Amino acid sequence: MQKTGFFMRFITVLGFVFLYAPILSLVIYSFNESRLVTVWGGFSTKWYGELLKDPQILSAAWISLKIAFTSASIALVLGTLTALVLVRFGRFRLRELLNGMITAPLVMPEVITGLSLLLLFVVMESWLGWPSQRGFTTIVIAHTTFCMAFVAVIIESRLSDMDESIEEAAGDLGARPVRVFFDITLPTIAPALVSAWLLAFTLSLDDLVIASFVSGPGSSTLPMVVFSKVRLGVSPDVNALATIMIGAIGLGVVIATILLLRQEKRAE
Amino acid sequence: MTSKPCPATDRPWQSESAKPFIRIRNVTKKFGPVAAVDDVSLDIYKGELFCLLGGSGSGKSTLLRMLAGFEEPTAGSIEIDGQDMAHVPAYERPTNMMFQSYALFPHMSVERNVAYGLYRDNVAKGEIKQRVADMLDLVQLSGYERRKPNQLSGGQRQRVALARALIKRPKLLLLDEPLGALDKKLREETQFELVTIQETLGVTFIVVTHDQEEAMTLSTRIGVMNNGRIEQVGEPREIYEFPGNRFVADFIGSVNMFEGVVTENEADFVRIKSKDGDCDIYVSHGVGCAPNQKLWYALRPEKMEISRERPDQKENFFEGIVEDIAYMGNQSAYRIRLKSGKIVRLTRTNRDRGEETPITWDETVFVSWGPSAGVVLIA
Repeated sequence: MQKTGFFMRFITVLGFVFLYAPILSLVIYSFNESRLVTVWGGFSTKWYGELLKDPQILSAAWISLKIAFTSASIALVLGTLTALVLVRFGRFRLRELLNGMITAPLVMPEVITGLSLLLLFVVMESWLGWPSQRGFTTIVIAHTTFCMAFVAVIIESRLSDMDESIEEAAGDLGARPVRVFFDITLPTIAPALVSAWLLAFTLSLDDLVIASFVSGPGSSTLPMVVFSKVRLGVSPDVNALATIMIGAIGLGVVIATILLLRQEKRAE
Repeated sequence: MTSKPCPATDRPWQSESAKPFIRIRNVTKKFGPVAAVDDVSLDIYKGELFCLLGGSGSGKSTLLRMLAGFEEPTAGSIEIDGQDMAHVPAYERPTNMMFQSYALFPHMSVERNVAYGLYRDNVAKGEIKQRVADMLDLVQLSGYERRKPNQLSGGQRQRVALARALIKRPKLLLLDEPLGALDKKLREETQFELVTIQETLGVTFIVVTHDQEEAMTLSTRIGVMNNGRIEQVGEPREIYEFPGNRFVADFIGSVNMFEGVVTENEADFVRIKSKDGDCDIYVSHGVGCAPNQKLWYALRPEKMEISRERPDQKENFFEGIVEDIAYMGNQSAYRIRLKSGKIVRLTRTNRDRGEETPITWDETVFVSWGPSAGVVLIA
């Protein structure tokens, strides 16, 4: 028993080291004084300061935040509606098919998603004249599509856990269906909505592949800027930037998880 | 616990002229090819506490949901207070429902839960406050206004659900297993309260339950459901003492069923030959049946006597061996194996204390009964 215990602990530790050692070294080296990435030259926060003076990075960060905010919000509305249709409107034909299709973007290689969207935008531009150029709009559309799938899956699972009789009870007491949705359904799934939005936001924020396909001049997102910088050689300020991004994304995921867990606990 | 909302003299279902409050006419509900409710017709009168009694899958809940407006009948019509309910959505019906799970709104306080129906009807704020306070008083929950449902006990939640369903003063209250989630003791107390509240407000109640004791205690009338059909409708006493068929006899209470053939069929008596015993079964009333028809004689365990001596009568007794005795304090239950191998259940009130030589295991005994103790069933 004792032996198994030790073995299990050893494996667990090994697993976590494997997962987090690279990230940890990156965080540590972001506080490196030295200009050489691989040589420790003492503690310093100067690269963070450097970062704030870099207009390219700042504008990319701003674009990324705007894109993430917009696409997460649109994805939240569309994904929630999708989930509602799939869960609440009974068994209609094609339901199972749609149910499967909504999860497809989750497993689709990003290169394919990006490429197909790029082709779509090009065709649309030549046929409809819209979107006239690739940039902010196209990235938002692209991010919305795959974030929506995540949102739909999260909300769908929450909705199917929900006791449908409380919606019926509200209807029975005189609330029309729209009223029931805003009075009962929405407050009940609110924590799931928040966590779905946060997840969509972080997914959009750290997407590189799809954004690279569908972006245009002047709309480079943060991951794109980081990637292009790294290709010219790793500089310490990229470490600092990466650390900030890890912090932001980590925070988002943690809040989302806490909200979901708390709701599960309340449901019990 | 024999409180009945209607006085014995006031039985609208026995009067020809009384107008039913709810008319259910040939209602069928199909889910795919399966008929959950199959051609049900039923009249329910104002002020009744009507129980729909049946096992799971009997269609009782589906019938209730059709009354509430959550399901549309596949065929047939439902009329409430003279108004046809076809295509009337739940939010426009003069009914309210108390759900089996209570379905309280988890994000609202007790007060908001109870007031919800009034807010939807745009009742004035002051009136809402007053009515909610009165209602909470009625269900003895004053002081719990600010609590959330998850801060209440099961019994308290049940009462919030009841208050919320009653606040709009519905013409008809539908209750789906209202006491199902409570423990036994609480259930007995609450049964009593439910009847009191129903009497106080004069609302018509339709209660769905699988608990026959609950149905007996609560209702003015019971509708026994099986396989989507109504097997029998009647007052509790009627259902118990005069079951219409084998299903009802067996479902309500326990019963011994003897299969037999009519040997003598007169206007004022019948004689039945059963292979379970040596002598005939004599019934002191006429039965509308053909000669030599196969039928069943249903005998309740408490309507028989047990003795060591051969009873002083020519018919209506069977000989057997005591196989098992269960002493339950107020009464004893006997399982007696007849010669035919059939087991007869019999209960006897323990009237005497310290009986000297009580009937015991493996003794040969006689079970006997009077000429009007049992019911002859044809179906």
